[in-house]
Amino acid sequence: MTLAARPIEARPLMRRLAIAWEPYLYSAPTVILIVTVMLVPLVVGISYAFRDIQLLNPFSGGYVGLAHFRELWQDQAFFEALRNTVWWTGASVALQFFFGLILALLLNVPFAGRGLVQALVFLPWAVPSFLAGLNWAWLFNPVVGPLPHWLFALGILSSPENILSDPNLAMWGPIAANVWWGIPFFAITMLAAMQAIPADLYEAAAIDGAGPLQRFGSITLPFLAPTIAITVLLRTVWIANFADLIVVMTGGGPADRTQILASYIFTQAFKRLDFGYASAVSLVLLVLLLIYSLLIVALRQTVLNRS
Amino acid sequence: MASIDIAGITKNFGNIEVLHGIDLDIEDGEFIVLVGPSGCGKSTLLRMIAGLEEVSSGDITIAGRRVNDLAPRDRDIAMVFQSYALYPHMNVAGNMSYSLRLRRTAKDRIAQAVSGAAGKLGLEPLLDRRPKALSGGQRQRVAMGRAIVRQPKAFLFDEPLSNLDARLREQMRAEIKRLHAELGATSIYVTHDQIEAMTLADRIVAMQGGVVQQVGTPLDLYDRPANLFVAGFIGSPGMNFLPGRYDAAPGPAVILADGARIALPLDPGLAPGAEVTLGIRPEHVALGESGGMEAGVDLIEPTGLGIILHLSLQGVGLKAFTADRGVLNSGPSIRVSLPSAHLHLFDSAGNRVALR
Ligand SMILES: Nc1ncnc2c1ncn2[C@@H]1O[C@H](COP(=O)(O)OP(=O)(O)OP(=O)(O)O)[C@@H](O)[C@H]1O
Ligand SMILES: [Mg+2]
Repeated sequence: MTLAARPIEARPLMRRLAIAWEPYLYSAPTVILIVTVMLVPLVVGISYAFRDIQLLNPFSGGYVGLAHFRELWQDQAFFEALRNTVWWTGASVALQFFFGLILALLLNVPFAGRGLVQALVFLPWAVPSFLAGLNWAWLFNPVVGPLPHWLFALGILSSPENILSDPNLAMWGPIAANVWWGIPFFAITMLAAMQAIPADLYEAAAIDGAGPLQRFGSITLPFLAPTIAITVLLRTVWIANFADLIVVMTGGGPADRTQILASYIFTQAFKRLDFGYASAVSLVLLVLLLIYSLLIVALRQTVLNRS
Repeated sequence: MASIDIAGITKNFGNIEVLHGIDLDIEDGEFIVLVGPSGCGKSTLLRMIAGLEEVSSGDITIAGRRVNDLAPRDRDIAMVFQSYALYPHMNVAGNMSYSLRLRRTAKDRIAQAVSGAAGKLGLEPLLDRRPKALSGGQRQRVAMGRAIVRQPKAFLFDEPLSNLDARLREQMRAEIKRLHAELGATSIYVTHDQIEAMTLADRIVAMQGGVVQQVGTPLDLYDRPANLFVAGFIGSPGMNFLPGRYDAAPGPAVILADGARIALPLDPGLAPGAEVTLGIRPEHVALGESGGMEAGVDLIEPTGLGIILHLSLQGVGLKAFTADRGVLNSGPSIRVSLPSAHLHLFDSAGNRVALR
C-alpha cells in the first residue's frame, strides 16, 4: 500500500521516455520493413515520372516537372492504349465471371466424380501465363492450330486465317486466352461462397414456391454479392495490369490494336528505354485504378450495410 | 385443410433402408406428433411429405391426390424448420410475404395476409427488421408467420421449439395449440419433448428404427403402451420394468427374480412359466404402506412438484414418484407395494398383454 502511492513525476526521465516509446519500438521492425519494401519503390517510381530518365542517355536524369504529362496528353498511342485497356479488361472480366459462375453452379450440384472435376478445373490456373500465351498463339495459328479451321467451318471466319494478325479481331485472341486462364479463379471463389449458403434456405424457398431461377435470384445472388464485388474488383485491377498474354501473343500489334496501357508501359520502358515517360503512364494507370477501386469498395459497403 | 394418407412408405439412402414401410392415415384438421429416439427417421418422414426427399416406395396422398412426384411447391404445404431458415437479406415482412409474391398475389391481398399473420403472432412492431436483428423467440414466430400467411393445406414442424429456452418453449407451445385451434389445419409435428407431444397431439405416432410402434391418443400411449419401447419412451421419469415369470396357480401372478409374488388383476392367458416383464409407472408405486416389500433408498431427488426416489428392490432398480414430502425423512429403507390396478404386463417378445 505504501509503495503504490509513488507519484508519476518521481520516476526518472529515461524511464518515462522508455514507457512512452515502448509501443513504437515493438512495431518498428515491421513498420521499417513495410516502408522499405513497399513505400520506397513506390515513391522512387513516382519520382521518375517527373524526371527525364532515359537509360541510354548519360545526360538524362534532370527534373522536368509535368513535361511527361503534357506529352502524354498529346500522345495518340496513349489514348488508343487506354481504350484498348478498358475493352480488354471489361471483356475479360465479364466473360471470366460469367463462365466462372456457370461452372461454379454446375460444380455445386452433386454428381459422381465431382472431386476429380473440381481439381481438374483448377488446372489452367496453374499454367504459367507465358506458356498459356504461347499455346493460344499456336492454337490461333492456321498452320499448326485447329481454331481458325473450326471457326471457318462454323462460318464465324470468312477464311481460316490467323485472327491475331487481323487488326479488327486481334484483341479477341488474348481475351480468349485470358478467359480460359482466369475462369478457375471465379469458379473456385464462387463455389466456396455457394457452399457456405445453408441448404435449408433452398428447401424453405422450394416449399414457399420458388423455382430454380427464383431460388438463384432470391438466395444465391444476395449471398454471393459481397464475394462478387470483391473478386471482380481484384480481377479488374489485376487484368488491367496484366500484359503477359498480350506481349507473348501479339506484342501489342497489329498496328497497336492490342496495345494496352500495361504493355505500352512495358514497351516504353524496356524497348524504348524511356523510364521517365513509362513511369508517367504508370502513374496515370495507378490513379485510374485507385478511383475504380474506391468506387467498388464504396458500392460493396452500401450493399453490405443494406443487408 | 386436407387429410394425408401415407401407405407403405420406405426410404433408402444408398442401400441403407431407414424407413421400413410406414402406414399412417391423418384426418383433416388433425394434430399429429411424431416422437422417437434420435435417428429413428422422423425428419426423413416429414421431409418426404414435404417433397424434400424422394419416396423410395409407397404412396403419399394429400387431400386425395397422390403427391409422390410433385415438387414441394405444388403440394401446398408449409414447413417450419428447426433452424427457422429465414431469408437473411429480407426483412420480416419480406420473409412472410415471399411465398405470396412468388404466386403473384395482388399487393393489397399480401399486405392484408401479412398484417393478419403478424397480428396473430405479435410481430407488428418487427415487420421492418431483418432476421439477424431478432431474438430466437422472435425468429421462431417469424418462421410460424411465414407458414401461416398463405393458408396451406397442411403444416409440417420439425422440432420448431428445440432452440428456445424452457420458458419460451412453454409459451410457444401454448401459442401453437391456440393457432391450431384457430386455423384448424392438418399438422404434423416432430419433437423430442414429452410434454409438447402430450399436450399438443390429437394422436401421437411413436417411432423406433424406422418402424411405427404405436399410434394413438396421448393417454392411449400413456395408459396402454403397445410394447416395451413405447412404455419406456413415453413418460418421465420412465416406467419401471421388472423381469419375472408368469405363474397361474393359486391365482394369476408374476414371480420376480427374488421369488416375490406380485398378484395380477386378471388371468392374462399365458402359459405358466413364461418369461414376462412387469411394468409400473413411478407415480403408481405405493410407498410406506404396511405389507408390501422392503426396498433400499439409494437416492432422493426433490423436483419441487414432487419427489423421485431411486429404490432398489432386491437388487433391481425401481423409481418411485410421490407428492408426499414425508418420504424425505424416510430411513435407509422403505416399504413399497405394486398395486395390481396399475400394473402393465409384456410378454417375452416385449408386446403388451392386456390386464384391463
Ligand atoms: N442424407 C442422408 N444420407 C444418408 N443417411 C441419412 C440421410 N439423412 C438421414 N439419414 C439417416 O436416416 C436416419 C434417420 O434420420 P432422421 O434425420 O430422419 O432422424 P430423426 O428421427 O429426425 O432424428 P433426430 O431426432 O436426431 O432429428 C438416420 O440414421 C440418419 O443417419
Ligand atoms: Mg430430425
